Amino acid sequence: MSEIKKHDTPMLEYLKQEAWPSFVDDIEQYGEKHKKQACFDLLGQLELSYKHKETHWKHGGIVGVFGYGGGVIGRYSDQQEKFPAIWAFHTVRVNQPASKFYHTAALRKLCEMWDNRGSGMTNMHGSTGDIILLGTTTEQLEPIFFDLTHQMKMDLGGSGSNLRTPACCVGKARCEWSCIDTQELCYDLTMTYQDELHRPAFPYKFKFKISGCPNDCVAAIARADFSIIGTWIDDIRIDQEAVKAYVGGELKPNAGAHSDRDWGPFDIQKEVIDLCPTQCMYWDGEKLHINNKECNRCMHCINVMPEALRPGTDTGATILMGAKAPILEGAQLSTVMVPFIRLEPPYDELKEIVENVWMFWMEEGKNRERLGELMQRVGLANFVETVKLKHIPQMVREPRSNPYVFWKEEEVPGGWKRDIKEFRKRHPA
Amino acid sequence: MDIEEVKQKILEFMEKKAKSKSKVYLKDMQRAIPDAKPMLIKKAANELVKEGKLEYFSTGSTVMYSLPGQDLEKGMTQE
Repeated sequence: MSEIKKHDTPMLEYLKQEAWPSFVDDIEQYGEKHKKQACFDLLGQLELSYKHKETHWKHGGIVGVFGYGGGVIGRYSDQQEKFPAIWAFHTVRVNQPASKFYHTAALRKLCEMWDNRGSGMTNMHGSTGDIILLGTTTEQLEPIFFDLTHQMKMDLGGSGSNLRTPACCVGKARCEWSCIDTQELCYDLTMTYQDELHRPAFPYKFKFKISGCPNDCVAAIARADFSIIGTWIDDIRIDQEAVKAYVGGELKPNAGAHSDRDWGPFDIQKEVIDLCPTQCMYWDGEKLHINNKECNRCMHCINVMPEALRPGTDTGATILMGAKAPILEGAQLSTVMVPFIRLEPPYDELKEIVENVWMFWMEEGKNRERLGELMQRVGLANFVETVKLKHIPQMVREPRSNPYVFWKEEEVPGGWKRDIKEFRKRHPA
Repeated sequence: MDIEEVKQKILEFMEKKAKSKSKVYLKDMQRAIPDAKPMLIKKAANELVKEGKLEYFSTGSTVMYSLPGQDLEKGMTQE
C-alpha cells in the first residue's frame, strides 16, 4: 500500500488542544488506521479554506444513481492537484429507520461497506435525519446503491427538490407521552410517497416531521413544512396522591433532571401554577385543579410532575404548516392548520390534506419557494381555502389580533350594499 | 394531453432553452406547457430521465434538468 501524505495543518492542530473531542483527531486516527489518503487531503483542504477564508468545494453535479433524482450530492474539490484523493467527494444520504433504532449488525454492515466503497467518514445523523455517508467517487455510486438496497434493505434518502426523508421522535417505542404512533406514521408516509422522495416533483424541498407530543422532540414546528404533532382532546390525567408526593418532597420534580444542584424544596405554586401560560391551574393545598378547556398543551406541568400528570387518552394530532429556516427572510414557525385530527392507518384524511397542499404548491409555488413563503405570499386566508381546509376560530389568537380571515360579501346576509335612506332614518347625519 | 405528447413538448422546450441555458427547473417546464397538469409534467420529465433523454442536475438543495452532454463546468463531467 502506498505511503499516505500528510499536509501541514497548524490551524487544525489548534482544534486538537482543548479537552473536548475533536473531529480532527477522529479523522486523523481513522486515516492512519485505514491508510486513507482522502482523510488527510480533506484536512489539508480544510486548512487551506481556513487560510483563504473561502470554501474549495464545488457544489452539485449530474451524479446520482439511475432513476433517482435525490440521495446523492455531488462534491468536487477545486484544488485537485494539491488534494487528488478528494477530487470527487460525493455525499450519500441514506434513509434512516423510523426513530433511528438500529441493530448493531446493520450498523456494522453499513460501516464495512463504507470503509470499502467510500472515505469511511459518516455523519450520524444529518439535520434532516438521514445517515450521511461522506465522500465517495462517481464510479462507486451504483455499487453502493446495490449494496444498500440488496444487502442491507436500506434506501437512499431525499435531497434536492424532493420530499425529504420523513423524520419522527422515538414515539411510543420509548416515550409514555406519545399521543400517536410516530414510527408507524413515518414509515407509512415514507412508503406512500416513494415517488416524491426519489423523483423531483416540487419547486423546492418539502419536509414532514412527526412528534408524538407537544414537547416536539424533533422540532417539527420549527423545521418542517408539514408538522404533525401529537396531542389530546380530553383532560390531563391527574394522580392527586402523586401530586401530594411532589409537594411533600417524596418525588423529585422533572424526574430528578435538575438534581445536580440544590434548588430548595419544590414549590408547586411557583414552579407549576404560576408558570402555566393560560393560568388554567389551581392548587388548593390538597388538590390540583385544571381547567382543561383553557389548556394550550404547553406540557410544562406534565414535564415537571411526570408521575402525577399525564396527557389525556383521547389522542390525535395537530397539523401545522410552513416552517422553514432560510437564509433570506429568517426563520418561521409552522402555523396551525388543523387543530385536531385522529390518526389511524391508513391515514387517508391526512394524505388528502397533504396532496391538496402539494397540488397548490406545485401550481403556484415559485422556483426555490418553500411552502411557508408561498403561504405568506398568497395570504393565509387564501391558502386555507385553496387547500380545502376551513377557517376556524382557533386560527385567530384573539379578536383583532391577527384578523387575516375576512368576511366575504356572499357570506354576509344582504351583502355590503345598504339602503342609505333607510340608514339615515335611524341615524340622522 | 397524454404523456407521450408532454414528453415531446418537454424535449422541444429543452432544445430551445439549451441555446441560452444548460439546465432548467421543473417549474420552467410547467410554465412552458400550461395545458398539462403539473403532476403529468413531473412524471413525463422523470420518464425522460429513465430513457436517458434528460439528466438530473442536483445542487443538494435543488434539482434541475438538462439535456445529456449539456452540462457542466469542466472537470465535473468526467472522472
